[in-house]
Amino acid sequence: MISKILKTTEFSVFLILVGLCIVVGLINPAFFSISTVFDTLRASIVYFIMAFGLLPIVIAGGVDISFVAIAAVTAYATHKLLSGQGYQGGVTLYFVIACALGVLMGLLNGFLVNRFKLIIFNVSLATYTMWYGFNLFFMGATQDFNLPKDTVGYYGNFILKANDPNVGETGLHVSILYAIFIGLFVWWFLRYTTIGRGVYAIGGNRSVAIRSGFKVNRIMLIVFGLMGLLAAVAGVTQAFLSRNFNPVIFINEPLDVLAAVILGGAAITGGRGTVVGTVLGVLLIQVIRRALIMAGIPVEWQRLVVGLILILFTSLPALNERRLRRMGHVTEITTEAQ
Amino acid sequence: MQSNPEKPTLLGRSQAARPLRFQIDRQTVLLLGVFVVLVVFFGVRSRTFLTSRSITSMAFQLPELGVLALAMIMTIISGGINLSVNATSNLAAVLAGLFLVRLLPHEATPDQATLYVVIALLLMLAIGVLTGIINGLLIGYIGVPPILATLATMTFFTGISTGITGGKTVTGFPDQVSVIGSKTLAGIPIPFVIFVIVTIIAYLLLFQTSFGFKIRMMGANPTAASFTGIDNKAIIMKVYIVSGVFAAVTGILVMSRTMSAAIEYGSTTYVLLAILISVLANITPGFGNVFNVFMAVLILQVLSTGFNTVLLGVSGSSFFKDFSWGVLMILIFVINYFLQGRKGQQE
Repeated sequence: MISKILKTTEFSVFLILVGLCIVVGLINPAFFSISTVFDTLRASIVYFIMAFGLLPIVIAGGVDISFVAIAAVTAYATHKLLSGQGYQGGVTLYFVIACALGVLMGLLNGFLVNRFKLIIFNVSLATYTMWYGFNLFFMGATQDFNLPKDTVGYYGNFILKANDPNVGETGLHVSILYAIFIGLFVWWFLRYTTIGRGVYAIGGNRSVAIRSGFKVNRIMLIVFGLMGLLAAVAGVTQAFLSRNFNPVIFINEPLDVLAAVILGGAAITGGRGTVVGTVLGVLLIQVIRRALIMAGIPVEWQRLVVGLILILFTSLPALNERRLRRMGHVTEITTEAQ
Repeated sequence: MQSNPEKPTLLGRSQAARPLRFQIDRQTVLLLGVFVVLVVFFGVRSRTFLTSRSITSMAFQLPELGVLALAMIMTIISGGINLSVNATSNLAAVLAGLFLVRLLPHEATPDQATLYVVIALLLMLAIGVLTGIINGLLIGYIGVPPILATLATMTFFTGISTGITGGKTVTGFPDQVSVIGSKTLAGIPIPFVIFVIVTIIAYLLLFQTSFGFKIRMMGANPTAASFTGIDNKAIIMKVYIVSGVFAAVTGILVMSRTMSAAIEYGSTTYVLLAILISVLANITPGFGNVFNVFMAVLILQVLSTGFNTVLLGVSGSSFFKDFSWGVLMILIFVINYFLQGRKGQQE
């Protein structure tokens, strides 16, 4: 059991993450502080949620980039709708409306893919462009800082508070609970439901999945609906965390989220990927960003270092696989390997 | 998955006498149809759309994205993808820009300045080659999946530009730089001439050389390609070098038109647009028609300029093009599906 865990991709990502933290901690001891933990988690929340939505699609063998557009449109359109009505209530209604829109938008992707036998990435590229254009033209092109009265307190709604010697009082925002709950749900969904197992089956071998009796179209619709739903949650959460509604939020970030999912061990060709790996992948990218600041690398050179680290992290597994193949140790990774 | 009707003829066509012509396929007809419909629609709706001024301005704008898309399709046909194209073009522009600003003496004669500009342009092409080598090493020789490798190098190349410039836009070039981006040749804007030349080069490379045949072979089936004795690694290396050089040409066009070199010019949006053009042109691993790329770029520009003139005065009118691009793409997918006669259905 333990030796099995030690061999997983997730474990090597975990080791890299721990190693990175130790190195940065040695350079700058202030890195090991409660505020670093809280800040990293806070910055990761929306990426966790979006990555959890993307993960099942990747496992099913697709690549989607439209989830960022769904996040932007659902949040911004909901805000325009409610503020137009003079709404001054809390955040719940925001989440309800945005989630309904998100599910519909996710289902649109799924419908197009299923009905017209299209490649997921191509459809998502079209809807990505379309929804951002829709947002900017029909909804508005300016950032909106006017939040309803009752939602203002939400920003400081912490579940944990701590005193940090460096920055004073700091807290962990309540929305981390959403990320945890959603993560657990997706984990359960992928591992213990027939639909979830079907997702792995589709990614492993689509024709075999069809012949085994999985209702592929229905499964894909559910997966796309889930993606839209989670994108909407992420969009609204981000808006309230940053205290403004931005029509082009996340527009440059779909590939970063995808990179996090893939770094976490999901195969871009489908059939492989876990929630734990995704959590580690997202954390890795966030910790790298934070670590570079703490390690004292000048701001303008940070992106170069991130690039080098990404090149290193993507090369290592590839080199390792080549080494194993030369030794004749590589067996096809099947759908069941999880 | 789309079934591809050209598959059986791949070998036959290339072994034939290689006639020097653009292949016309269904997508070409479809794109031509869409193009004509759009031009007529905007021509009727707007008085300014079909004026020589508006056509000239379109011919100045579209080559940047067109050449970038050509850089993208080379890799897609080979079975990969190159997300670092825009980072490459910006890196080339930034380094060449710094070369000009820092090293060109202030009291230089026009001839000297021209010489420096020519050296700067060659430097940009060399940077294109270098970035291609890095991508080729990662993808071909180390075996990193193309999407991950080029995502990493995209960050890395942008990182180099950011680090060297400190995030600032490079400006203050000699006037000779603007020649490419603002002058015309026999009435045709020079960027457009360059776009046409690069399109023809891409076509010749892909369809008139054994290198191109190997690229398509490898894209269609890498395992089969390697069994026929093709050195996949070397081909991948060359493909990404060509892609890098095309990206550097985009850098030249951007730098010359804007007279500046910005690290974030175009950002991720340009990369995704280049992929969007490839998808619109129905470029798939192993298969593709360069003329379709040309048509796809024209159509995007017509939609952009067309809606700008029709919606003149409406707030945020320039954003409507993005919406229309997405809708058009979905429409073309759907039309294609019905034209294909629902072949390739699995259930």
